[in-house]
Amino acid sequence: MSAMLEFKNVNFFYQTKKEEIHALRDLNFVVDDEEFASIVGPSGCGKTTILSLTAGLLENSSGQILLAGKPIVKHDDRIGYMFQRDHLFDWRTIWQNVTLGIELTKPKDADQKKEFARELLKKYDLFDFISAKPRSLSGGMRQRVALIRTLVMEPKLLLLDEPFSALDFQTRLKVCDDVHEIIKSEKKTAILVTHDISEALSMSDKVIVLSSRPASVKFVQNLNLNGKTPLSRREDPTFGALFDLIWKKLTNEKENTKT
Amino acid sequence: MKKKILKPKISKAAPYSKAHQRYLRRLRNDKIFVIIFQILILVLFIGLWELLTATRVIDPFFVSSPSRIFNMFVSLVQGGTIWKHIGITLLETIIGFAVATIGGTLIAILLWWNKRLRRVLEPYIVVLNSLPKIALGPIIILWVGSGMSAIIVMCVLICIILTTITMLNAFNSCDADKIQLMKSMHANKFQIFWKLILPNATAEFISVLKINVGMAWVGTIMGEYLSSSAGLGYLIVYGSQVFKIDLVMTSTVLLCVLAALMYMVVCLVEKWHSR
Repeated sequence: MSAMLEFKNVNFFYQTKKEEIHALRDLNFVVDDEEFASIVGPSGCGKTTILSLTAGLLENSSGQILLAGKPIVKHDDRIGYMFQRDHLFDWRTIWQNVTLGIELTKPKDADQKKEFARELLKKYDLFDFISAKPRSLSGGMRQRVALIRTLVMEPKLLLLDEPFSALDFQTRLKVCDDVHEIIKSEKKTAILVTHDISEALSMSDKVIVLSSRPASVKFVQNLNLNGKTPLSRREDPTFGALFDLIWKKLTNEKENTKT
Repeated sequence: MKKKILKPKISKAAPYSKAHQRYLRRLRNDKIFVIIFQILILVLFIGLWELLTATRVIDPFFVSSPSRIFNMFVSLVQGGTIWKHIGITLLETIIGFAVATIGGTLIAILLWWNKRLRRVLEPYIVVLNSLPKIALGPIIILWVGSGMSAIIVMCVLICIILTTITMLNAFNSCDADKIQLMKSMHANKFQIFWKLILPNATAEFISVLKINVGMAWVGTIMGEYLSSSAGLGYLIVYGSQVFKIDLVMTSTVLLCVLAALMYMVVCLVEKWHSR
């Protein structure tokens, strides 16, 4: 499988009034095409920074970030970003929210993309709500709308920044299944940033564990759990052992940070 | 012929349970109770006022009375002059209100757009906001002359700074993650403003409209106190100078009615927006 995203010796510094902070140090990892990778690490280690760099919202201080073999550029159409909260605009209908990206970028194939949006809404049981305002949707439905809003622009790579953290546990399990199914059936490459090890394990093909700041890759675990859905993968006999392994890596890292 | 039975509205809709019907009835009764008491307070106030002045417990020379106010209103209507006074005050208020609301919002947009300009102008805006605008009255008359233009300028000055500060706060309080989302979707600054910042501030804009309705009347009447030859503010000043308390009270009641009507228009806009 070919590499979709490559971080090659990426460093990132940012400035505050007091000091210059080294956020990422010689970061190296690869995410393959159609692979679902999760990034876990101690709080504040720079997980979201990695997504912001990938999306072109921040610029790396050194190193290379390659998307399908080419350096990423600002406003790269090949990347879609899904945030912690759904951030649906309350004053717009579901249809207007879903087609926001088309409205902003006015692509040549706008009609095609709108048709694709219609298809996605139908496929994921949201078509009946296209004229509704977001406030009439449940948390899980809102997250699905947010994902469709991202998918409509047909990105190759999806960046998911803790998109389930604002949901209650039951909804979270359901939405994880939905999102995973959508991403896999649309054949997208995805990177999920999360604090939840179970979520990372159940959804991903690969888990990347980061060290504390300045973050570098501490450990990579490829996964091959049995089960089609994230929920069923949790029942895999190796799930517990993998959880412990990643938990230990993270705990060591937290202790290192304290000392 | 079958007798038509009047049923409560609630039973026409979905099959509500008895408990739900009781709940809805209680809500409706609460609403009716509030309205009845609102009207009762007004009726009591007017009745008591009339009674106390008719029995000379209070001297109507100083406080007028509802019947004298009504008579004064009728005589003003018959004389035909009242419409001119109402028209002028209303025109000044509406122009002042519109200029201040639009102007204040435009300044807020400019300051949101240019962060450096905002930081430079911040202390001046704070000073202007805390300055009692009435102090500028003589300067305004000197600059734009007396009459309608001075009154409108006074009205604008009273509303515009507050509009700017409120709208700027609303623009700045937009969730940073939503801005990031727009950026991740390749939105430019104008698109971020037009499709996110501005609609996100609609609730605050309606609040500004509500505040400005009151402030615009304050500005106009203050302006008319300073320099005018017509308008309700002028009638109040004139009435107090010639000890015609009935005229003062009638003009004040008319002001109350007009301000309430203007406020209701804003409430209708709010209702239309929140549909």
